[in-house]
Amino acid sequence: MKTVVHCDVNGEPREALADPRDTLLVLLRDRLGLTGTKEGCSNGNCGSCTVLLDDAPVCACLVLAGEAEGAQITTIEGVADGNTLHPVQKALIEHGGTQCGFCTPGIVISAVAMLAENPRPSDGQIRHAIAGNICRCTGYDKIVAAIAAAASEMQAGAKR
Amino acid sequence: MSDEAVIPLRVVGQRLPRIDAGERVTGRAIYPADLVRPGMLVGAIKRSPHAHATIKSIDLSKALALKGVKAVVSGADFPEIRPNTIIPFGETGADLWVSALIVMARAKVLWVGHPVAAVAAVDEHIAAEALRLIEVTYDVLPAVVSFDAAMAKGASVLHPQHTTKGFETGAAIPPNIGSRTLLERGDADLALAQSAATASIAVKVDTGHQGYIEPHACVAEADPQGNVTVWASTQGAHQTEIQTAGILGLPQSKLKVVPLELGGGFGGKITVHLEPVAARLAQMTGRPVKMVMSRAEVLAGGSGPPAAADVMVEVGAEADGRLKAITGRYLLDTGGIPGTPTTLVMQASAACYQTETLRLEGMDVVTSKPRTEAYRGPGGIQAAFAVEQAMDELAIKLGMDAAAFRQRNAAVTGSLMPAGTPFPSIGLTTILERVAAHSCWQDPLPPGKHPRGRGLALGYWRGTSMTSAAQLTVAGDGRISVSMGTVDISGTRTTMAQVAAEEMGLSIDDVHVTMGDTKSSAYSDAAAGSRVGRTMAAAVVDACRDALGQLKRRAAERLQAPEGDVTYERGVFRGGGGIAASITLGELMRQTLTDGAIIGRGVSTKLPFGVEVGAHVVDVEVDPDTGQVTVLRYTAFQDVGRALNPTAVEGQMQGSVVQGLGWALTEAIDYDADGRVRNASLLDFRLPTALDVPPIECVIIETPVPGVPYGLRGVGEMPIVPVAGAVANAIRRAIGVRVTAMPMTPERVLAAIKTKAGTSA
Repeated sequence: MKTVVHCDVNGEPREALADPRDTLLVLLRDRLGLTGTKEGCSNGNCGSCTVLLDDAPVCACLVLAGEAEGAQITTIEGVADGNTLHPVQKALIEHGGTQCGFCTPGIVISAVAMLAENPRPSDGQIRHAIAGNICRCTGYDKIVAAIAAAASEMQAGAKR
Repeated sequence: MSDEAVIPLRVVGQRLPRIDAGERVTGRAIYPADLVRPGMLVGAIKRSPHAHATIKSIDLSKALALKGVKAVVSGADFPEIRPNTIIPFGETGADLWVSALIVMARAKVLWVGHPVAAVAAVDEHIAAEALRLIEVTYDVLPAVVSFDAAMAKGASVLHPQHTTKGFETGAAIPPNIGSRTLLERGDADLALAQSAATASIAVKVDTGHQGYIEPHACVAEADPQGNVTVWASTQGAHQTEIQTAGILGLPQSKLKVVPLELGGGFGGKITVHLEPVAARLAQMTGRPVKMVMSRAEVLAGGSGPPAAADVMVEVGAEADGRLKAITGRYLLDTGGIPGTPTTLVMQASAACYQTETLRLEGMDVVTSKPRTEAYRGPGGIQAAFAVEQAMDELAIKLGMDAAAFRQRNAAVTGSLMPAGTPFPSIGLTTILERVAAHSCWQDPLPPGKHPRGRGLALGYWRGTSMTSAAQLTVAGDGRISVSMGTVDISGTRTTMAQVAAEEMGLSIDDVHVTMGDTKSSAYSDAAAGSRVGRTMAAAVVDACRDALGQLKRRAAERLQAPEGDVTYERGVFRGGGGIAASITLGELMRQTLTDGAIIGRGVSTKLPFGVEVGAHVVDVEVDPDTGQVTVLRYTAFQDVGRALNPTAVEGQMQGSVVQGLGWALTEAIDYDADGRVRNASLLDFRLPTALDVPPIECVIIETPVPGVPYGLRGVGEMPIVPVAGAVANAIRRAIGVRVTAMPMTPERVLAAIKTKAGTSA
């Protein structure tokens, strides 16, 4: 028996029919057409489907669609302000922090969530924040450098 | 130095961001699993629960009767393909029989997870239910999962009709051998006997995995005229077209493969897996069909993992360190279908060294596991895990510094490769000079809580050339568009935009590069073998020069100057003493676009090989109580000929090293004796996270290859080759004992420590 799930996705009120077996990932990708969030393993090990659920980063594959009722969700599609990219996105481009790109949306979300809590992270703290996001292409260095640069940029921006 | 390398360049060699990075960081890049077509169905595969069995019967009727199921197929729905049905692929061709048998089992299943049937249904829940309703009866046969089981006297033979090649007449041939290859120079046994010091090692390497984060996926659609379109995640659109058309029995004129973004391939997305099945289901239903593998399917039978290996190596040298002999036996696990090549592996394992004699024997062994496929320098890391440990042990026995020992014996331009041909231009001795002078080798190891060690290993990968094609057109404003026949797995669109901008004297923003589909681009081999950067660059250079020749003729007319007097630089044509002194490319195109399109054609084929060599230095700490190995510092040196884009080169090197660290320390597919995978998840098949690896320092060395544009070498594969050997050597230096099984898990390290304690007590 399908139910209607109402939630706020990227600042927009959305509703969709969900099967009781559907995860939040299925709801986002298949019902709402937000395919920027990727499915790499479907059991919470790769982090490709990381989204913000009420500001906390979660694997969308581990949340049932029904649990999203009334929640505020941010997906990769909601990180940039129109065509103005978030500093994390800009820095990943500039530092070569994205290769195949499949893990990138999850990395962006994890980084954005960390920087909201900790605006001056050490490299170790950055590595910790993205430890749940497996990247098979980059070896992580350029991602870490990008997030560190984004943090500096955001600090400088806050001072201006 | 080649002439080409000394010309100052404007765009090539710059650290430019990927031109497609914006789509990636915003989630707008489209991979096949993201594609939605009207009326699209979901396809799913029924897989074998047995590692070796005869299929007695398949009953599809109950599945077909389920409401919402639109089509069900099995092996009978595809034409029979005979062994040795050779299709075009690079210099060697490929056997369509292998691809066809991977896609769908016929009379027998050959591994757990081998596809036996497939369904298309209106949603994934109905598709899953339909798979349960497919009734397959099997006659279960004995599985041969390990090398020992497969090669044992009286073992169950997986391909009784297969003829094993490469053995001497009358030799006793073990069962389940695909073929045997021998590389021999001089009398290696005699040279070993005469050596002042020898070292030997026998290693076992477990099956690994490429570990791409995007599971295999595709969408197929057939129109009423019988034209089929497949949107694929593939390393080669043209390879996918050839294999899919062959497996379906479809003329290539009726099939178009559109490559979408590829979420990692690393060798595992060259052979087709889902595409022919999705296409057949689409033909039968008249509706688009999407197929996406689960991670469990990827890891347990749905994809082709890299080969397990069993390698024995013995090396010998004079007292002064000069190498006299390398002998080796290399068993590569080809999985359920013979044909995994061993020659490249044997060549790679010994290529970095000059040796008086050698004797290398390789065999691919057929086992009841998924057919193995390529993975980044296929076989290289397994072979180097053995050879680099043997070389290190020999240096220890000789009392020589590990780098000095290697410098003493390093291959140089013109020295003989194991296959007997002379090395083209290589910079291995330069690399070793840089290693010896670098702080990663010079600085003393800082003390730690646990024993620490520093390891060095060399790596070689031949790479390949094959063929690449590019087509260049010029727009009415003088901007250019390049369509490549290859897909982009490593930033190729960006580096080729750099090459086109360089050659055409334009800015990178004036160049548009696309990966063409198979009906809008010309035949190019797959993105594999560290070949695309070099060979597509050659094709793009060719296409630019072709277009410029045509443009100069037009400019000569406009400038009323003899064609031979027209020069072109940075977007401007200049004539000798004509009525106008010059005309810009943009103005020329505005005036002459409607005189006919300018189409530059570029094909590169059989380019000189851009062999890759490198050296890695790693510091590790080993916890003697737990066996845990922590990687503290890692430095990778590599000769890349010329870095088209240093950021992209570092990205390849760092990514390669971290993949290598994964297989070296944690990644192994765990098969039980019946061939069932016990760890088909990314929790239990453990890829490195950001916390598991240190920063990877890259030292790029540039020794250009003559006869290749900009002197380019292959980049992407070599840097995985030395990793496990370097780590093993560091562990040996830390704890005084060698770990001979890979991955070097804490259990195995601990066992090695205990064995040493036992023998010394």
